[in-house]
Amino acid sequence: MKGSISGINEQILIGTGTKPEKTYYIALAIAVFCLLIGAVAWAIEIIYGMGVTGLNSPVYWGVLITNFVFWVGIGHAGTLISAILFLFRAKWRNSINRSAEAMTVFAVITAGLFPLIHVGRVWLAAYWMMPFPNTNNLWVNFRSPLIWDVFAISTYLTVSLLFWYMGLVPDIAAMRDRVTGFKRLLFGFMSFGWRGTLREWHHYEVGYGFLAALATPLVLSVHSIVSWDFAMSMQPGWHTTIFPPYFVAGAILSGCAMVYSLVLPLRHMFRLEEIIKAEHLEALIKLTLLTSTIVAYAYGVEFFVAWYSGNEFEWAIFQKRATGPYCFYFWVMVFCNCLFPLAFWSKRVRYNQTICFIICLLVNVGMWFERYNIIVSSLVEDFLPSNWGHYEPRLIEIALTVGSFGWFFTWLLIFCRFFPLVSMSEVKLIMPKPLRGDGASAAQKH
Amino acid sequence: MAEITTQEEQGIVALFPYLDDFCQAVSRVGSDSDFHGHEVLSPTSYHELMALAEERYGPSPVRWFTLVGALSGMCTGFAMPLLMDYDWPIVVGGKSPGIYSLPAYVIFGFELMVLFGALATILGMLVMGRLPNPYGTVYHPRITDDRFAIFVPKVGVESSQAKLLHHLGAAEVFAAAK
Repeated sequence: MKGSISGINEQILIGTGTKPEKTYYIALAIAVFCLLIGAVAWAIEIIYGMGVTGLNSPVYWGVLITNFVFWVGIGHAGTLISAILFLFRAKWRNSINRSAEAMTVFAVITAGLFPLIHVGRVWLAAYWMMPFPNTNNLWVNFRSPLIWDVFAISTYLTVSLLFWYMGLVPDIAAMRDRVTGFKRLLFGFMSFGWRGTLREWHHYEVGYGFLAALATPLVLSVHSIVSWDFAMSMQPGWHTTIFPPYFVAGAILSGCAMVYSLVLPLRHMFRLEEIIKAEHLEALIKLTLLTSTIVAYAYGVEFFVAWYSGNEFEWAIFQKRATGPYCFYFWVMVFCNCLFPLAFWSKRVRYNQTICFIICLLVNVGMWFERYNIIVSSLVEDFLPSNWGHYEPRLIEIALTVGSFGWFFTWLLIFCRFFPLVSMSEVKLIMPKPLRGDGASAAQKH
Repeated sequence: MAEITTQEEQGIVALFPYLDDFCQAVSRVGSDSDFHGHEVLSPTSYHELMALAEERYGPSPVRWFTLVGALSGMCTGFAMPLLMDYDWPIVVGGKSPGIYSLPAYVIFGFELMVLFGALATILGMLVMGRLPNPYGTVYHPRITDDRFAIFVPKVGVESSQAKLLHHLGAAEVFAAAK
């Protein structure tokens, strides 16, 4: 046999069949602990009201909305890798698309929590956000970017979930065929009774392609719409047309960095070094470098436009971002998002996984600070100096942020334990084909 | 899913380890009346097999599900805010009711187009793939792993069909029930 797909299922399912490395349990324990911190913080906020946060005039959007934008952004690389790279036939994505898609789903669920936390009275959130008829037949304001966001995020979550689950179906069927009893029944139910017939594959492949084609403009639209939450207002520092592409590039940068930061330890925990290869990770780093340069360009253009527009309020905000009381956040953002990733131009660095891991973590820190910088530095100083104020997050907001990481990682780690972290059916497509190769055959004809 | 529990429809399953042999066998048995009602099974969607599927089943109608879903989503996305605006006009900037902000509603048209299109695509994949299939037989656990298979109903392991499948490269031919 010239090539073989034998043993792929075995290798990938080893984590679901046997106990993973000890580091997995340590990571899960830390994640659950962080989640509990967040849960307690949210409970305190619900009991005592929004006064426990640092939010006050003029800053009503602080760390909570920063977290919302950060987590939505994290999700974007998952869709980029699963949908856009699928349409471009980038084969290296096949080994990491499942973990990237899982990251998207859990990141968007995490993001969705923050508007609920932010409204304070969470039990009224649906009434405020969704177009429900009420006694006066009063509907939501469809001209508001906040309502656009509700539709964009819920569509994004639904489509990402569908895309992820349909990708799982053939793999769950493969898991079914390895077990007996109740598990077999459960996996059979979850895989819709998939058997891998030519008819099933034929319609599945076409449908998967259309889902990818639908998800591609969706992913670009979602962060554009998130950026309009800011850009549609008159607030200096927000009211700029560069926001949609700037936000999308930033989202993909943070997402790629997050995929790398997740995949590297997970491939160790589940012994997947032979499936998720060093060159796949290198390709991801190249994508991170590309988006980092786009983000750096966007930072530059933003400053240039603020100066070139002649709008003194806009220019004052940008000057203060770099030199004012919040300049620490600004320079962390510049160093982490624009300067540190420049090391990725070196091939030696791209293959040094420790350095790449550290830089990717720093990029995530930088991207969080970018959102904090945009939100807070603009809100503290608007047109009237008498409105100006100051904002620092309180302990509750920090605890909620820690809790969001706990929530995200708990779900991700539980998923990795019970479902294949790598798409088995797709990874077979990048392995050498099992050919006898002894002459003309239909395989070669096609 | 379901185990082999009935013997109502006996047949044979041929397992192939090689893709090129398998594609040749699928092409060979496709139009042969001796193999009427046969099933082709694969662990993944190799391009060669998808080309054979296209020949056999033609273009997948899933595209029409997507189109209809997307168009109905787009119409819903525009209709919903327009009707709600009509029901309760929100006067902005002193403009009289009856002026509808179509550019703002493009967002809803687009988002619901994608949402309904995706849901309809999933529906199409399931309907056209004849899923869910609670009564389908798992002929061999390696078919979702690393083996290709052809199931031929109502024939035995000593039949001419079994011999032909052996000849075409099947590593193993055994009796199975659908």
